[in-house]
Amino acid sequence: MDLDEVLDTIHLSEQWGHVITTEEGLILHNSLLILQNENHFRRIFFWGRIRGTDNDYYIAFGYRTDALLDRTFYYSTNCLNWGLLPLPTEYAKKLTPLCTAMFQGDPALVLDVLLEKDEISFGDPLPEPQVKKLKEEDRLSATVFFINEEAAVVPRGALYKRADGVIVHNLAFEGLTPVEARETICFLHYRVPKQKWNTNLLTRDDYNVAIDFLDSVDVDIPEGCWTVNMTASEEVVVLKTLYWPGMFFYHWVKTPKHGFLYFGTGVKCLDVPFFLNGLYPVVEDFFHPK
Amino acid sequence: MINDLANLGSIIEINPEERDLGRVALPNEEHEFVYAKAFLQKNSTVTGENLYDHLSEILNKILSERPENVVDFFEEYCRKIKEKRFRPLTDHLEDIYVAPGRYRLANKLLPFLRPLPPEAPSTVDPEDLERADMTKNNMLDLLAYFEIAGLGLPRLEMFCLTMSMRQLIRAEPITRVRFWGKIFGMHKNYLVLEADLKDEEYVKRNENYNAAADNKIDDLVTDHLEQMKREQELPAEDALPQLWATLPPTPRIQYEEPPEPPSEPSGVGVNKTVYYVCNEVGDPWVQLPDATPKQIRIARQIYKTFTGDLNQAIVSYPLFPGTERNYLRAQIARISAGTHISPLGFYIFAGEAFGEAEEFEEGAGGDNKGDISENPKYDPPSIKDLTDKSMMFWVHHNNHILNQGRTTWWNSNPLPEGIDEELGEEEEEKPVIAGPEPETGPALLTPCSEDVTLDAIPAWSVRSSSDIAEEYAVAIVKSNFWPGAYGFAAQGKTFHNVYFGSGLKVMVPNFSPNPLPPVEQDYPLGPEIMEILDPTGAEEETWRIAHLPKELPPKELRGEDELGGEEAEEEEEEEDEDD
Repeated sequence: MDLDEVLDTIHLSEQWGHVITTEEGLILHNSLLILQNENHFRRIFFWGRIRGTDNDYYIAFGYRTDALLDRTFYYSTNCLNWGLLPLPTEYAKKLTPLCTAMFQGDPALVLDVLLEKDEISFGDPLPEPQVKKLKEEDRLSATVFFINEEAAVVPRGALYKRADGVIVHNLAFEGLTPVEARETICFLHYRVPKQKWNTNLLTRDDYNVAIDFLDSVDVDIPEGCWTVNMTASEEVVVLKTLYWPGMFFYHWVKTPKHGFLYFGTGVKCLDVPFFLNGLYPVVEDFFHPK
Repeated sequence: MINDLANLGSIIEINPEERDLGRVALPNEEHEFVYAKAFLQKNSTVTGENLYDHLSEILNKILSERPENVVDFFEEYCRKIKEKRFRPLTDHLEDIYVAPGRYRLANKLLPFLRPLPPEAPSTVDPEDLERADMTKNNMLDLLAYFEIAGLGLPRLEMFCLTMSMRQLIRAEPITRVRFWGKIFGMHKNYLVLEADLKDEEYVKRNENYNAAADNKIDDLVTDHLEQMKREQELPAEDALPQLWATLPPTPRIQYEEPPEPPSEPSGVGVNKTVYYVCNEVGDPWVQLPDATPKQIRIARQIYKTFTGDLNQAIVSYPLFPGTERNYLRAQIARISAGTHISPLGFYIFAGEAFGEAEEFEEGAGGDNKGDISENPKYDPPSIKDLTDKSMMFWVHHNNHILNQGRTTWWNSNPLPEGIDEELGEEEEEKPVIAGPEPETGPALLTPCSEDVTLDAIPAWSVRSSSDIAEEYAVAIVKSNFWPGAYGFAAQGKTFHNVYFGSGLKVMVPNFSPNPLPPVEQDYPLGPEIMEILDPTGAEEETWRIAHLPKELPPKELRGEDELGGEEAEEEEEEEDEDD
């Protein structure tokens, strides 16, 4: 979420139920401006809050030149003192999905992660259960990394790849039309693309190399894991993913305003297949044949 | 040189006379300009557009907007302009007025923005109307607290919610109404109101309740009789072809459902309050049906998000009895039971207020039936106590729901008298699994400090809303089991429980569905249904030899017998192995 919008989130709360409180917003707005100034960021964003049992983590990020590759993340437990979020290590990335407990709120805490028998995260299946240590700060950085990979979204056209390859926010972006805003193909993952460079280009008629260089969210598995909702006034479109409850993307239709916030526990929901009535038509025909 | 010029496409036109003379005239600026302009204005043969208009339009846009680093986005501007000009040939809808998105909403909300019509004059004394007290339901007041707690809905929605609650209490027999929260579904959301009905209304509903319960027993008996009748008829029907005379009877289902506890009557336990829901402000409020114990038990075993359609079928295993309407009601009951908490001392057991506190406490601690009421002498705990991490100063004020799906335990064993004796006999034959030992849950007004922790997750996280201004801070309690369930208490007598979430409980580590029950045997295991391997050729041959007609002399015959006997034994052994 752009820094200027931090102070006024109540208009967005219809599909979400949460706001940034006035005090929180004021502190964030000022402390992040100082952070921006110290680091000479071109733009700075509030990323969200990960809930811990004792303390919450606030996450922010900014960039100097490149809006995608040059992002630097910061975290804080009180909104005032910001510390650099370390880059996620391979070790933490393997262990984080196995942590099911909530964050506690102390970055220096060392967690015991139980690896069960036959766990294959570290190569060969383990012959017996094993306990590994993980620092909460590393877990936090890995969690932020995963959420960015899977749940961060930008509307199509908001990011622009310049001729010199640098990715910037598109000055000419005028927002999605109400029709476009109802389709998941018009929303792109805010991450380094994982698919082949032309996948996104080939799947649309009105392709444009400069703005279609990211992966679109409509190919995520299973179909329906993204929900697109419009507010009652049809001014804001809200995207949520079932995998990361608490992730909230908004876009004011026909304006360049967009952003995302994560207010959650930092634990991925693996039960998505149970949520969806994927086989529902089949079941209905079976029980209530017409 | 002249030739070169000619090759350039005669940008500069040269008079033939001058060419003849062999000297080049000075370029005529105006002429050149007109010529170049004419070239730029040449329409495309394909689209009918021309570059001159296009460029001037782009420059016009850029100059009026004056964006930064525009050269980097020049192509983008170019494309935008072209896109705007594009009109599909089949677009005949251009002249039709398209209503703005807010139009629908405006129409919906307008009824709330008008003053309520004056009530028809009636002879009833206004005090007898028993209309719900709306003084505590100004949602904008509440919103101020919500915002401090980090929650909220847009002001418009909150305001119109108050107005629609005012309309609801005029139409329905409600004595108390409260905003319960909002449940976010996949396609639509639910706004939920919690309401107490008038006593007469509960009585009216419970008349039907008793009748329904009786019907249930009658149904049970008739079902049983019919089944017995069918069993008797079965052989007669099967007598058609003689060939199947020895056909075994149809297998019977051995599984018997454990007796279903009756649902609690309206106004009691799980169904103490009724809930009204709607998708959006302005939609009519729909009352949810009462929850049955079975619905609550199954809702605990499944994990489904809400879609936003009350009539959506719930596709799950075990099969949920009812649609999303019932599922929503069951989840609301679970959330209310688990997360409705109040500061210590706000509620007291009904007897305490009259000075018999000690006697009553003991009585109420034992069973959950003690009624609670607001404490008139409530002295709010300090903010320091309320934000204490031990949660000693917060108590549950809703009854715990037992595993049975009720708040009070129902004894399944003694069947109601007056039913067929056979039914009773069957009951007796079955070994008593549950036993008559009643389930008990924590009593009302148990402090939250006694809540269980789930896999190292404490039940509650408590925060103070402000670290800076402690004088105005609000204590905020968040449930870790029901993400989205909040309670907050201001420094004063205000406290509120609210839910803003997806309506799902946390599962640690994640949800695992119930396994299917073991497959039942169609028939008791016996030689008729056992699969036996066919004898091999060699075995048949030895059998044949063993059973040859007894023509041989007795000496050899004995040997054969022995041989045959052994082989028969072998065969038997093989058969045993096959089993």
